[in-house]
Amino acid sequence: MSFFLQFMIDVLSLGGAYALMALGLVIVYGILRLVNFAYGELIMVAGYTMYLTSGSGLPWLVMAAVAVLMAMLAGIATDYVAFRPVRAKSVTAVLITSFAFSTLLQNAALLFISPRPRNVPLPEIFSETVQFAGVITPARNLITIATAVVMLALFSWLMRRTVLGIAMRAAATNFTMARMLGVPANLVISSAFAISGLLAGVVSMLWIGRIGAVVPGIGLEPLLIAFIATVIGGMRSLQGAVLGGFLLAFMDTTLNFTLPQDLLKFRDAFTFSLVILILLWRPQGLIKGPASGQRT
Amino acid sequence: MLEVAGLQVAYGAIRAVRDVSLTLAEGELVTLLGANGAGKSSTLMCVAGALPAAAGSIRLEGKDVTSARPETMARSGVATVPETRDVFPDLTVDENLQLGAYTRRNDSRGVAEDRARMLEMFPVLAERYGQPAGTLSGGEQQMLVIARAMMSRPRILLLDEPSLGLAPTIVDRIFEMIATLKDSGLTILLVEQNASKALAVADRAYVMRLGRIEAEGTAAEIAAATDLRALYLAG
Amino acid sequence: MVKNLTTIAILSGLILVMVGVTNLLGVRLFDRIAINLCIALVLVLGLQVFMGNSGILSFAHIGFMGIGAYTTAVLTIPIRMKGMSLPDLYPIVAGIELSPYVAILLGGLVAAAVAAAVSYPLMRLSDAAAVITSFALLVVLHTVMTHWSEVTNGPRTLFGLPRATDLNLAAGAAILAVVAAVAFKESRTGLLLRSSRDDEVAAGAMGAHIPRLRWQAFILSALFAGIGGALWGHFITSFSPKAFFLKETFVILGMLVIGGANTVTGAVFGAIIVTVTFESLRALEAGINQAKIFSEQVVGLTEIVLALAMIAVLVLRPGGLFATHEIGALIRRRVRKKKDG
Ligand SMILES: Nc1ncnc2c1ncn2[C@@H]1O[C@H](COP(=O)(O)OP(=O)(O)OP(=O)(O)O)[C@@H](O)[C@H]1O
Ligand SMILES: [Mg+2]
Repeated sequence: MSFFLQFMIDVLSLGGAYALMALGLVIVYGILRLVNFAYGELIMVAGYTMYLTSGSGLPWLVMAAVAVLMAMLAGIATDYVAFRPVRAKSVTAVLITSFAFSTLLQNAALLFISPRPRNVPLPEIFSETVQFAGVITPARNLITIATAVVMLALFSWLMRRTVLGIAMRAAATNFTMARMLGVPANLVISSAFAISGLLAGVVSMLWIGRIGAVVPGIGLEPLLIAFIATVIGGMRSLQGAVLGGFLLAFMDTTLNFTLPQDLLKFRDAFTFSLVILILLWRPQGLIKGPASGQRT
Repeated sequence: MLEVAGLQVAYGAIRAVRDVSLTLAEGELVTLLGANGAGKSSTLMCVAGALPAAAGSIRLEGKDVTSARPETMARSGVATVPETRDVFPDLTVDENLQLGAYTRRNDSRGVAEDRARMLEMFPVLAERYGQPAGTLSGGEQQMLVIARAMMSRPRILLLDEPSLGLAPTIVDRIFEMIATLKDSGLTILLVEQNASKALAVADRAYVMRLGRIEAEGTAAEIAAATDLRALYLAG
Repeated sequence: MVKNLTTIAILSGLILVMVGVTNLLGVRLFDRIAINLCIALVLVLGLQVFMGNSGILSFAHIGFMGIGAYTTAVLTIPIRMKGMSLPDLYPIVAGIELSPYVAILLGGLVAAAVAAAVSYPLMRLSDAAAVITSFALLVVLHTVMTHWSEVTNGPRTLFGLPRATDLNLAAGAAILAVVAAVAFKESRTGLLLRSSRDDEVAAGAMGAHIPRLRWQAFILSALFAGIGGALWGHFITSFSPKAFFLKETFVILGMLVIGGANTVTGAVFGAIIVTVTFESLRALEAGINQAKIFSEQVVGLTEIVLALAMIAVLVLRPGGLFATHEIGALIRRRVRKKKDG
């Protein structure tokens, strides 16, 4: 029983983080049909903001809020630098510019901060453990679960109950029609990037909470995770992204428990082969998104 | 109110609209007729801002709006019902209507009133209120699209083949409704395959062929002068 | 035909001139830069063969470079050194020690064979699915290289490759790559593939079996990558899997995009421009670091410049410097104009 509980906590906390990562990638992909390769760097930006403000003496929550805000700004900047100027030209061009922007941000961190890990302030509670029902688990796992629940609820409220959210969902199926109803394209796209940054920023706090430090390459793993989760969940479905995140976490956790050590190191090779197989089987991902529309 | 002069629209090398000039006076219902592929939809979508103009000009109340963005056109009071019957399939009927009022989202009282009015006008929509629009039948979707367009309280309504593929009784309903809208003072540009029905409600008409305006006049003149059957058989 | 020969002649001439000048100068540093450039040419031309003709972005290219490098390493590291550099190597291959020249070719062939085996189904995909799968393929290859300790020494540096790549060999390979890239582009496969790039439906209607065409290009592309990787291995003599991942992908992609992916000329000029800029900036970085102007080491400047250049090119000149015409065609047109005028 307590093993089961332990397992569930592991899956849910990992899955919560994965789901938020995937959602941040899909919100942009769904609307623009374009992959943002610089997504991982939004997580990096939030991390370095924490490091840079660590000496300020501000309460942790304030620093975290500033960090999330910076990730949102970085998201909007991605739109202006990498997407907007080439969006109409070609899919390949956008992939390359977002890849270039990702390299740009990473190397800016290398150049202006340091190639070495930098410590990030964490509240006490992140390093504490909690014991209940015969389970010992880091408090941060429970915080991650709670945060994921709150964020998913907030996100769902935003997409279902606000005009902007409804407009974004509409734009994801038929951008031109949404525009003909007066929904400004640029507002929708910038909002998508801002939300993407918001999710990345929050994930960053949780993700960095596991390691307590930030390095320029920190965004790669979340990007890869978001890729897999979205491919599993269906590349254009918001619910699919969340589901994909939890499924991936379930798979990872199960493999961690069952795979022998010398095969475990090949885990990424297995999961990514799985990604390729899924895409071959269903290029739209496992869960079909909304009926297809055209790109802008 | 709307003046289109020397309009050209191209898809890559294909020139779909070669030379179209037409005007719409305030409160007028003008119909644009022509065979398949004549360029009617392209003209309409270009006026709506969804396609760029290759040449020519579009003026709305004297202001140049050639190749304006679709959202700008919507904000200036142009509502569009495209041929492709574009409901947002996974948004509910209600959400579709709500988006129709996007340009006046601050006037929540007015929006609520209009929504009630639309649901009264289209009782089916009231029944399907919380259902995803993709689950509606073709006719119901068409009604939703028209209702959604009306939610913005447009000054000009662009309608592209509202009767396409619908059962005769529903077609009649839709034309009744168009007549009602016209009586309420709305300016309408109606593209139709069903020429006799369109001419029956329209004030004036234009006939397009191969991307050009071939004939224009009052609805009665066009109905008398043109062999409507030939209009659609000839390419 | 004549214009293709002109293109080949000009591009190979460029490489030969570079070799000549480098040999005349006899500076070790320039020798190193020139060899690096020639190897980069092989890699970029390989990527051009696939991306330029099919129009599909591939991230997996550098993974095949890694396959070439590790293949030649296993086959050429002297038997008495293998115990040290690859202690867990399978006995069947542990006793092999081939000439590097043979092994370099085999490196290319193994990369091509792996590409042929895994990539066929991937060639059906377009757009985002194609890009994500190629990205996933790169991650798979990288993970295997990092953890297959028996063959790659795991994440640790593998050392002991004989140094076999000199400027002449590298330049020869680069010239062959130019010839092959032009020949492929003008071949029937290349022509059909290019028409599918511009209009997939129309090319399909012409009877082109697009996945197979893409597959052929992909295999050829991997062959180049494998040979490029093997050449690099015998130049650098020790490396780790880190050398075959995103950073290198970015550089090679940058060269192709800046030069112009659709033309062989673009690939060549892109490689030259980026290499020269990179080396200058590296020298600058090294200078700054030596002078200890800043307390920390200056790193990352080169990548920042390359990233900005790529974005600028894609915004201002989406096709790159040579977007549609090869240099041969451009020059012949100019000559003809002069004659007429
Ligand atoms: N997206 C497109 N790409 C290429 N050509 C197009 C496109 N849309 C329309 N065309 C071409 O432009 C011409 C005019 O099309 P348009 O849809 O405006 O005609 P229409 O008069 O509305 O015809 P219908 O009565 O069948 O709706 C046609 O020849 C059509 O093939
Ligand atoms: Mg039409």
